[in-house]
Amino acid sequence: MSLSTAIPRRRALRAGAALLSKYLTAGGAGVLLGLAVTFAIVERGKGFAAAESGPWTSWPRGGTPDLDPYTRAILAYSGKMALSGSAGITFVASGDSWGAEFDSACDYVIEGEIPSARYWTLTLLSPEGIPIPNRANRHGFTSSEILRASGGGFAVTVSRNARPGNWLPLGRSSRFILVLNLYDSELGASLSSLSAGNMPRILKGRCG
Amino acid sequence: MSLVDRLLPALLWLLGVLTVAGITHLVAIFALPKILMKDPYAQIAMTAKPAEFTLLPLSGSGSPAIPFADPALVQAVCPYDLTQGALRLHADTGGDRLLTLSFRTMEGEVFYSMTDLAAQQGKMDIVVLTAAQLDAAEANDDEDNPSPELRLIAPQKKGMVIAGALALFPGERGEAEERIKSVSCMAEPIPQE
Repeated sequence: MSLSTAIPRRRALRAGAALLSKYLTAGGAGVLLGLAVTFAIVERGKGFAAAESGPWTSWPRGGTPDLDPYTRAILAYSGKMALSGSAGITFVASGDSWGAEFDSACDYVIEGEIPSARYWTLTLLSPEGIPIPNRANRHGFTSSEILRASGGGFAVTVSRNARPGNWLPLGRSSRFILVLNLYDSELGASLSSLSAGNMPRILKGRCG
Repeated sequence: MSLVDRLLPALLWLLGVLTVAGITHLVAIFALPKILMKDPYAQIAMTAKPAEFTLLPLSGSGSPAIPFADPALVQAVCPYDLTQGALRLHADTGGDRLLTLSFRTMEGEVFYSMTDLAAQQGKMDIVVLTAAQLDAAEANDDEDNPSPELRLIAPQKKGMVIAGALALFPGERGEAEERIKSVSCMAEPIPQE
């Protein structure tokens, strides 16, 4: 091989390597970007099938086959697909009525309307859906056992420290969610018309 | 070399990145449920006795728990396999106590759910069967005396029934367990024509 033919071949090889490296970096960057967008959506998103009312979110079609792929991925990632296990309608809240995330150093009061239902339960769980251990061994209230005011209203206080009335102890957890289950509720057929006024408010109390 | 000549390769590279990102995103969204979704009910159903209700453990009892399950709801699972025959459920209801039944595939899809409000004269009689078994059952029906049972066609031969009884007070948990235990779930051969 003469020197005059070896140099162009070397140049062609270099050009080919540069092109391949461009393809590979584009492919690698694309995969990383695609995974990052997916992670952001499943971590923060609620999906197209979510029904929201104030701080409460429900996935009424959670366990059904006609669920869109985004909601299915979000529920699978968060483990909330198991919410469809019972025959009730389930609402989850991970923040107060002002849109702020729950802070375990603060008290929260849940009060106001509960949609019409034969029975309801209000439960305090970890974000992974497991009851939080506490000395009082209290994880929630049912509609039958809750203490009500003379007018029929009620207030539940979530706090680390003992509170009078309906107290839901936080235990030592740093993060928590509230879950409201409605059994035999008239809401089933009209969840889309739900407004924040039909659902209990979650008000932040004193902190520290 | 003009500005367009210099920008064109960079724009093509960016377009390539966005195309790959879009494809990756769609593949990940469709693949995630299959990778991550291990239905906790199905995991317990796989180890439970078929055609029989097994009480689900309470969260925090050391056994695998059902995430997001209502702690006030006592639950039991009855796995079934319709290969050999149908599944018959019977429950006597009364006392205005909540009893829920949900029918699921092993992939966690709920194909039917009901509560004790659907009971007829205080009784719930349900038969879960395949489409072929339904045809055979209908062929054996007495036209003058139709069967009062609710017949459900299962989308798959294997699945499970989850029964739930609400304990309105913590002290009523034992009573709720008894209500669940009184629900029968058993295999039933379908007579052929």
